[in-house]
Amino acid sequence: MPDSSSAPMQRRSLFKVAGLGAVGAVGLPFAAACSDLKTGEGSTQATEGFDFLPEYKEWPLPAEPDLVGEPPASPSAFTSYPEPVEGITEVPAGTGTYEITVPFWGEAPSNDDTYFAALRDAWGGTTMNLRQADGNTYADTSVQWLNANEYGDGILLFGWMLGSHTSFPETVVNSFYDLTDILKGDISERWPLLAGLPTQSWAQSVWSEDPADAKSARLYGIPSTMSGGTGNALFTRIDLMEAAGIAMPTTVEELLEACRTWSDDANGKWAFAGVDWIVPQLFGLMGDDGWSWDEEQGKLIHDCEKPEFTEMMEFRRTLWDEKLIHPDAPTGTLDGHALQVAGTTLFSQENPVRWYEYAALVKDGKAEGAIAPLPPLGAKGRKPTLKASTTVDGWTFLNKDLSKEQVEEILDVANWCSAPFGTRENELMEYGVEGDHFEYDASGNPVYTEHGSKIVQAPVNLKQFSGKVQKFLTGDPEVVQAHFEFNEMAKEYVVPSLFEGVRIEAPAAAKSAAQVLNDQQNDIAYGRAELSTVPDIVATFMANGGEEARGFYTEVYKSLNEK
Amino acid sequence: MTGRHPDARVVKRKRTAAQRLRHDWPLLVLALPVVAQLAIFFYWPSAWNIIAFMDYSPHRPFWENPFVGFAWFQRLFADPYFVPALLNTLKFAAAQLLLLFPLSIILALVMHSVVSTKVRSTFQSIVYLPYFFSWVLVVTVFVQVLGADGLVSNWLMSLGGDRMTFTSNPDTFLLLAWMQWAWKDAGWGMIIFLAALASINPSLYEASAVDGANRWRRMWHVTLPGIRPVIILLLILQIGGILSVGFEQYQLQRQAVGYQATEVLDTYVYYRSVIGTEGASFGTAAGLFKGVIGLILILAANKVAHRLGEQGIYQKS
Repeated sequence: MPDSSSAPMQRRSLFKVAGLGAVGAVGLPFAAACSDLKTGEGSTQATEGFDFLPEYKEWPLPAEPDLVGEPPASPSAFTSYPEPVEGITEVPAGTGTYEITVPFWGEAPSNDDTYFAALRDAWGGTTMNLRQADGNTYADTSVQWLNANEYGDGILLFGWMLGSHTSFPETVVNSFYDLTDILKGDISERWPLLAGLPTQSWAQSVWSEDPADAKSARLYGIPSTMSGGTGNALFTRIDLMEAAGIAMPTTVEELLEACRTWSDDANGKWAFAGVDWIVPQLFGLMGDDGWSWDEEQGKLIHDCEKPEFTEMMEFRRTLWDEKLIHPDAPTGTLDGHALQVAGTTLFSQENPVRWYEYAALVKDGKAEGAIAPLPPLGAKGRKPTLKASTTVDGWTFLNKDLSKEQVEEILDVANWCSAPFGTRENELMEYGVEGDHFEYDASGNPVYTEHGSKIVQAPVNLKQFSGKVQKFLTGDPEVVQAHFEFNEMAKEYVVPSLFEGVRIEAPAAAKSAAQVLNDQQNDIAYGRAELSTVPDIVATFMANGGEEARGFYTEVYKSLNEK
Repeated sequence: MTGRHPDARVVKRKRTAAQRLRHDWPLLVLALPVVAQLAIFFYWPSAWNIIAFMDYSPHRPFWENPFVGFAWFQRLFADPYFVPALLNTLKFAAAQLLLLFPLSIILALVMHSVVSTKVRSTFQSIVYLPYFFSWVLVVTVFVQVLGADGLVSNWLMSLGGDRMTFTSNPDTFLLLAWMQWAWKDAGWGMIIFLAALASINPSLYEASAVDGANRWRRMWHVTLPGIRPVIILLLILQIGGILSVGFEQYQLQRQAVGYQATEVLDTYVYYRSVIGTEGASFGTAAGLFKGVIGLILILAANKVAHRLGEQGIYQKS
């Protein structure tokens, strides 16, 4: 069971974490007016060691997983479907209507569908209307919604979206409801499932008005699930590889050879549609926000300062020069999924969710073959490195204009949504209504109907409204088994985060410089600039914000690691 | 016919404000929605330009935002990516002014010379309908036709040629952008000139034809002078908006051809202030810079127009 006392983030003392305040204090423009610009100086927030969080009370799981992993790097898994049991025997009656902004990718399900009506009836009558916005632009546009207070009664933000916000801590403490007084202490009587969320999840939902003042820390978000696992990977069509006689690559060099064997530009076949965000992993460029500690130099260095960065750029440029990547890749408009389904491209950079989606497509007759992740790859004989997620996926923030009673009613719904796999509540949330959105197959596993595929299978809607008591790998048994085995194998390569126990907002200049660095990498990768310009783009990055960021992150690092 | 004697002096009666209100109230009521629209959606937001001089945060009461003078402007001008974006903007503006603006006039003249109504309406529809397409669609069509994996490229490949790199080549992006403008916008510009051409008195053409003027002389001595005020007016307005060369077109193709070729002031502000983390004050400072330059240019162009005897955008007092 997840328990705050056993959480890996506890390895640093509260004293050290509290010392972060001095680093982040200048980042928040709450101070009196002055002529210096304070916006975007960066900030830090400790995410452990609070005494005002909900008291953890274990919520007994209704079923034990078939495959027991080591969360968070390797979540446990179910390869069989347990008979669901009722998780909440008495639901409170709710009459309110609320609007929550959530992202979606693909076709947004209608709020009028029977799925949402069934959810409403199940959790006690509270109406939760979804404002569903395009996930591709959600992070950037959410900045404007929050500034204008136009996001309804709540908003779901994933952790990776915070980078789009300037001074997000200021937004949090000024825009969102402070949940501390409602959720502090023992909440197990009214919200037993929320009390069963890992303390670590709640601790990561804390923001401070002034990081230098520990007393200003408050609880602002309802944490989403801690999915764990090693996250994104390079996937391949294994059926196409077998047909072409290509062995599964085990090194970056073998990967390049596989690309050469597969690609045929004249006949419209390429190895990749895009590699931009997965390729750093292949070269061990896994710094936290780009930074890692170099023992030899005795300082933090950025990924782009390492020799592996040049190797990565050489690899990307080779893909382009030898026509191993789709010629329209520079447009950034290719549908990588469709190209892989069509067999036009062999590899794709994916979140493991795609593994399950592809298996479903094959079962529905909409795709052929199968996809699988490549094992962790290293270049030039180096051991591969991976990162495992140790943070919550995101948060639901509630509008500060709500009343206490309204917030409590929404928390009633959140409590219901936290029911884990193996409960009737979770089945309704994940699969919908039997006969309408899903059917049981011969093995007793729920399988989406066509209606369910359109409405319920969407990756977000209310599934991330609040975190599950515990996250498991579930779904297609074959994929679950393979996914579990992959995680078990991959955990050997997982390296810890440099800044565990602290949430960092980088200085604005560093973010801008990183944007330019990214653009310049694409210039080299797609033949618009020479490989010889790598040192120049690194120097530009360091001069325009990189050095400032090094100083900022070094302060954070020292605060966490002081003897 | 009755009328005033040409030499009679006009005696203007002085009317009180109340009398004028009583007399003109229907006109004032008619003007009210426009005034309200301008006040709410233009002048009120314009007043917020003041945040360019503040370290503004939407989460503070407005009066608690500290004034920082020209600090954001200093930051803007010191940014190494600002000047390239400004130069790109001027390059595209010049191209629009010199290569697109005349195209609309030429299209209008061609259209004006077509006698067949059927041919004219068909041609007109084909030429101006793309104006209503979104930039996403325009860019997609160009990629599908001229892209590396597009129709033309694959046809060339089937003939043994090489793939085209036209849609991802920064060196030819100006030509690509011009082709997109020409397809999307030239037809719309043509409509305005067509309206101006329709206002030319046909008897002038008849008289010049009687005097022996051929087609070119009629165009030079009748048509172009007839639409000159409209040309000057649109030219001045175009010069005023010289730093606003568009946004989506460049943003959508930024990844394909790289930021050096596509970064204009509007995308610069977007990537710095919205996608990036410079904040609203920085973006407003950049916007104000654009506005001030536009105002200076529009006043200068108007002055030149007055010197050349044209009316410009407002009557010379």
